[in-house]
Amino acid sequence: MSDPEYLALRNITIAYGKTVAVNDVSISVPQGELLALLGPSGCGKTTLMRAIAGLLPLTTGSIALNKRDITRVPANKREVGLVFQSYALFPHLSVFENVAFGLRLRKISGDQLQQRVDGAIAMVGLQGFERRLPKELSGGQQQRVALARSVVVRPSLLLLDEPLSNLDARLRLEMRSELHRLHRDLGVTMIYVTHDQTEALALADRIVVMRDGCVAQSGTPEDLYERPTSGFVARFMGFENILSVTPEGLAGEPGRLDAATSSVRDARALAWRPQNVVLGQGPFSGRVVGASYQGETTEYLIDSAAGMLKAQSPVVSQRFAPGDAINFDLPFDRAVKLAES
Amino acid sequence: MMRMLGFAALGLALIFLLGPFLIIAGAGFSSGDLLVFPPQGFSLRWYGAVFEIERFRESFVLSMQLAVGSTVLALLLGVPAAYAMARYQVPGGEWIRTIVTAPVIVPAIIAGLALLRYTVIPLGLPVMAALVLGHTALVAPYAVRVVTVSLTHLRPDVEEAAVLLGATRTGAFFKVVLPNIRNGMMAAFILGFITSFNQVPVSLFLTGPGVTTLPIDMLAAMEFVYDPSIAALSTLLALMSVSIVLIAERVLGLSRYV
Amino acid sequence: MFADRRIGLALAAPALLFVGLAFLLPVGILLTEGLRTPAGWTLSRFTTFFTDPLALEVTFRTLRLGFGVTIMSAIIGYAVALAVIETGPGNRARMTALFILPLMISPVARTYAWIVLLGRTGLINKAVVGLGLSDEPLRLLFTETAVFIGLLQLFLPLMVLSLTSALENMPADVLPAARVLGAGWLTIFFRVILPLTREGLIVGGTLVFTGAVTAYITPAVLGGAKVLMLETLLYQRVSVANDIATASVIAAILIAMSIATHSLIRRITTRRRA
Repeated sequence: MSDPEYLALRNITIAYGKTVAVNDVSISVPQGELLALLGPSGCGKTTLMRAIAGLLPLTTGSIALNKRDITRVPANKREVGLVFQSYALFPHLSVFENVAFGLRLRKISGDQLQQRVDGAIAMVGLQGFERRLPKELSGGQQQRVALARSVVVRPSLLLLDEPLSNLDARLRLEMRSELHRLHRDLGVTMIYVTHDQTEALALADRIVVMRDGCVAQSGTPEDLYERPTSGFVARFMGFENILSVTPEGLAGEPGRLDAATSSVRDARALAWRPQNVVLGQGPFSGRVVGASYQGETTEYLIDSAAGMLKAQSPVVSQRFAPGDAINFDLPFDRAVKLAES
Repeated sequence: MMRMLGFAALGLALIFLLGPFLIIAGAGFSSGDLLVFPPQGFSLRWYGAVFEIERFRESFVLSMQLAVGSTVLALLLGVPAAYAMARYQVPGGEWIRTIVTAPVIVPAIIAGLALLRYTVIPLGLPVMAALVLGHTALVAPYAVRVVTVSLTHLRPDVEEAAVLLGATRTGAFFKVVLPNIRNGMMAAFILGFITSFNQVPVSLFLTGPGVTTLPIDMLAAMEFVYDPSIAALSTLLALMSVSIVLIAERVLGLSRYV
Repeated sequence: MFADRRIGLALAAPALLFVGLAFLLPVGILLTEGLRTPAGWTLSRFTTFFTDPLALEVTFRTLRLGFGVTIMSAIIGYAVALAVIETGPGNRARMTALFILPLMISPVARTYAWIVLLGRTGLINKAVVGLGLSDEPLRLLFTETAVFIGLLQLFLPLMVLSLTSALENMPADVLPAARVLGAGWLTIFFRVILPLTREGLIVGGTLVFTGAVTAYITPAVLGGAKVLMLETLLYQRVSVANDIATASVIAAILIAMSIATHSLIRRITTRRRA
């Protein structure tokens, strides 16, 4: 079967002077996997990606691709493709020549060149645009050229840097499914760098969440969405209410953790999504400080002893107005246990 | 009312700036032997005569060679420097920029005198070499500035994309950077050429007996030539500059780089 | 990929060495000549220069012409630039080209035209005598006025271009808004246009001023030996008397003026970017 350590990043640290952008990161990627590197800007994901491509030197650590140590292999010999956030098309070359660029460097010419370029252009659905210059294309079309240009040379690994961030919302959805199809059809191992958790959840086989240059958590989309282990990842996945657990009980609400809830006592913190907060009844009390109508649901901001909480409830149920005193419940069976807040 | 005054000012300014040319162009058409306006009679005599005057022909050829040579040299020096400053975080980058563009700040006559006394005479350089040194230094800042402008229009990741597709750094420069800054380099060439061709002060001290540039030669000739030949020559030179600039503007959009 | 600073330095090195060795070094040596005597370092050349009546006269004339041309070009420049802006965007580009054009033409040719116009038998004198305004031709050439006119023609385009671009960058609704509020033209100019185009005025002004004070061709042709400016004085002292010490003093004055005005421009342009 496929090599589980097709791409092996071992103890990678990247530092510029005193700033450490990537700190002792180790990741293995099996062949054919689509891995998402997820994190806020400044978390080191782009730096790591550029290092994998060979555009940045490692401070320490090693990279192996398909059992070959490529740590010191220059970028132009790595066979790693990169789709830039800006697309980085060659402005003076037509779509055809942009796609043919890598093939020509590999001394491919004649019918073979024509066939492979045509194939790549067809794959991204840009037939008929071969003679156009990049500036004559829309953002989405440029994105497709960038993809075709990267995959036509059959890279061992394809990196994508925030590939959808410069597109409008509708195109983004369309390109997302397009990328999914490409990955399935080509079977190429892909690393997808993004700050958008919905993109990562929708596309990736596996997600690595980065924070401050370190891996915060990695796992399948379900793992991360259902079972974040830290407050940072939980917040990223939409758990907006995070209460730390103290020996006395919940922070700000001592005594709320009784024997019946001993199953959660070993956690450092508990997290609830807004829709899991039950409004109108329960042992907690607070005051509504904000309500915003969102169509099917209404989102409330509640000031309580446990801090500012966010709750969401269907519009059809009971309504509250800012200023109302309110009782609510944080059901422990819906809570996620976090090892760190 | 204010509008009328404004347009009157605009018209007068254009007459002030361009009118004298029409007058010397007209004076050049004279058939007489004295430089006067309105011209005495009409002939192409003096426009033809300019090409017959040997000293002007020689200095014209020298000025052309000098302008082309020193501009090419300035580009060869300036393009890598502009590229280095646009792409690499060179240590002391601001200082390097200041030094390379310093010739703009130093009045050219001073540069010419200094070059003559402390470089040309001690090293025994021939006049042409001295002129090339001076003109290259004067043109280099333009080359750096214009090429820098066109480099800022090209994203650095385009080169990275070329490298990731298998190109070497040098290959990426020649295949991707150079074609995209070609217009900027042409614009720099034209500006450099015109700057060098029209340059007087730096050449004042550097030209020697028998080896002189056209504008210096014209300055010298003004003292004793009273016929319309210099007017005709000035007109032809103006036409040359104007047509180069107009063609360049059409083809390259020259004014973007000025 | 561009992290290796050594490559950057290597690429910049040829230009750096060339300008450093072939340009800055000799200019630097020249500057020290005025400070050096066989006896040691001295400032006496500067004191001698500034007590010499001719040198003082030339220095003041150079500054007077520099400021005069700058002020005149600012006055004409505003009138012209405002009119250019009024012609609308399409014509504006063409008008701008008309003002770039003279800059590309040989200054020798540009200055020569004034000999034809201002000479004893020139167009202006013919008109003056013809109209009976004067019995004999006026002395127009080799006067400070001639130099002033020549310099103005040479450098006015720089001011016009600089002010046009400053006016273009002014928010579009400012002038109509001021007019709607009932402001008169003088008020609009001094309270709205001038403050909003101050940077363009300073940039244009410094370009014109440095151009004028370091001009050689215009004073040489239109001023001659009677109306010397600093550069023609320098040339005269060197070619007639081989007086390098005075040349060095003049060089120091000119370079100091040039550096001062250029650093003013640089301060303004970098602040605008920030």
